[in-house]
This record gives sequence, structure tokens and C-alpha cells, in this order.
Amino acid sequence: MRLSGLQKEVLSLYRQCLRECRKKPDTARQHFKSFARNEFDKNMGIEKRDFAAVEFLLRKGRRQLEMYSSPGVKNIH
Amino acid sequence: MRPAATRLAAAPRIQSSFVAAPKSLVFQALRCYSSAGGLEKTEVYERIKQILTGFDKVTDPTKITETSHFANDLGLDSLDTVEVVMAIEEEFSVEIPDKDADTIHSIDKAVEYITSQPGAN
Repeated sequence: MRLSGLQKEVLSLYRQCLRECRKKPDTARQHFKSFARNEFDKNMGIEKRDFAAVEFLLRKGRRQLEMYSSPGVKNIH
Repeated sequence: MRPAATRLAAAPRIQSSFVAAPKSLVFQALRCYSSAGGLEKTEVYERIKQILTGFDKVTDPTKITETSHFANDLGLDSLDTVEVVMAIEEEFSVEIPDKDADTIHSIDKAVEYITSQPGAN
């Protein structure tokens, strides 16, 4: 399946999220992974051609990732 | 061997055929170091198969073959595929850059990529 540039950006953001999860303590890693996956799943229904919506969510996601990447955030529930 | 070694120690600059023995030993040691080599295709496949068998999103593990496509055969979506590729990354201790990761959609592609990576282990 050919992916659009925007779709690749979404996958890239998910990949970054998973990479950040690796830096979290072993016991909490799975929580972070599930959380990230859940955040993406929430918007699974967005039409892929709704560029404005996808771009908005990408920005929102990146901000969220930045927040959760802080070493101070050690677990998530 | 022994007299050669002691003589060598006593006179390090000696130019005799005795020198050949320790020299070739050193050479062999170096060769062993670099001969780690790439991974076998079958081994890579078996390890990837293990990853996929343990992945709960794969509904039918009997469909895992050398050429399975993540989406078409195993029923994974694009996010699952990202997870699989990341798991493969961890398993073989390599970092797969985005542009390469985007091209890995099937087991044979993954095997091909890993066997082409000199750092994979």
C-alpha cells in the first residue's frame, strides 16, 4: 500500500513515541506503549484526506510526546 | 615453540624464521575477531517468526511464512507494522531509519534488510 506524505508523518510520530517508551523504566514501559497506541486509535476514524484535522492532530501529538518524554514523567495510568 | 618464544623475548629484534610462528598466531587472532560475519537468512527468519508468534495482534500464527505480508496475510494495520519493525529493531540491536522502516511490509523484506545490516546480531 502506498502511503501519502502525511500518513508517513503519522507513522513516524508513532515510531518516535515507541522510541521514547524505551527510555522509560521497565515496569512502566508497557503503560506508555498502550497509552500511545490508545491515543492513535482514538483518531483511527479520521478520513485520510482531511488534511487539516490530521495536521492538527499531528501537532497535538508532537506536543504531547514532548511532554511525556520528560524524564520526570516515570509512569502513566 | 618454547625456545623460539624465549629467544624472541631475549632478543626482540631477531630476524629468524622462528618469528613466523608467533606472527601467524597474531594474524589468526585478528581474523577471528573480524569473522563474526552476517546472520544466516534462516536464523533471521526464525527470530522474526518468534516475534510475530508472540504478537497478540497476529490472529492466525499458521499464516506466518517466509513471504507473509504484514497487512495482507497477517491482518496487521499500519501501526501494528510499525510495532513489529520496532520489535525487530530491538531483537537484532539495529536502528532502522524511517525511510527504510517505511519499506518493510513483509517478512522477506525484513529478513533481507536485517541480513544486509553488518551491525545486526
